[in-house]
Amino acid sequence: MKIKKYKVVTSTNALAKKIKTPKPWLVLLAEKQSLGYGRKGSAWFSPKGGLYFSIILPKSKIEDLQTLTILAAFIVAKVIKENFNLEPFIKLPNDVWVNGKKIAGILTENVVGKEVKLSVMGIGLNTNIEKFPRNLENTATSLKIELGREVNNEKILKQIVGELKNQLKTISE
Amino acid sequence: MKLKLNIKGKEYEIEISEEGGRVKIKVGGKEFLFGEKEEIAVAKTVLPKRDFSKKEIKTPIAGIVSEIFVKEGDFVKKEQKTLLVSAMKMENEIVSDFEGRVQKILVQKKQEVKEGDILIFLQ
Repeated sequence: MKIKKYKVVTSTNALAKKIKTPKPWLVLLAEKQSLGYGRKGSAWFSPKGGLYFSIILPKSKIEDLQTLTILAAFIVAKVIKENFNLEPFIKLPNDVWVNGKKIAGILTENVVGKEVKLSVMGIGLNTNIEKFPRNLENTATSLKIELGREVNNEKILKQIVGELKNQLKTISE
Repeated sequence: MKLKLNIKGKEYEIEISEEGGRVKIKVGGKEFLFGEKEEIAVAKTVLPKRDFSKKEIKTPIAGIVSEIFVKEGDFVKKEQKTLLVSAMKMENEIVSDFEGRVQKILVQKKQEVKEGDILIFLQ
């Protein structure tokens, strides 16, 4: 798995869309994002400690990409449940909640002309975030807050990307 | 009116006359009648069907137009981002496959679109 690591970026999705020759399954990983965003451009709080990455998806049919995006929420939930024994809740279409608060968000962006030119899936997972600002503390949580300990970001990243690869293979067969 | 035509070394005698408002052509004992209707039918099949120079930007996915990045009269380059169509789970940047001037934008912000709908005409 090829992972490009960055200290700080505006947004891993924005960066991925600028790559000239994007290679499928390349992962862009940032320690923090200065302008992380979710659907409809809503901000995604992205301080150091969290897991923020984008995956360049292979060229696929638009319907398959849509299915994969829904599946991504299930995959993130599954990884949380299996690793940490928490009870995640999938807030369709793209969010994962734990104990009534948002813990992860997924945003797939496609660049399309007559056909799909580029697809990028961005995932933000609140892993080792100790504290949220007051305006978010009632609606957002992190694995660290829920578990009382730190987790291994890279291990979680690899599990999620691995599962996504398997699922896309299954749905596009 | 009688005519003699030589086509590839072979001689044809043709007689052209008018009969009941239609043109009669007689060749080698066979008669052919031509009227206005026949002429139109022939013309229709030869005409090109449509203008192929039209440049349309369509949406490949159903959703809601959430952003429009260009306005009528703007010059758009190939691969330039023109609109954003938000489907339930994805954001789709619609880029132009052509270069040209935006002649007409057929949609508005927040408008629902179906797969294959034309969004923009370019000149």
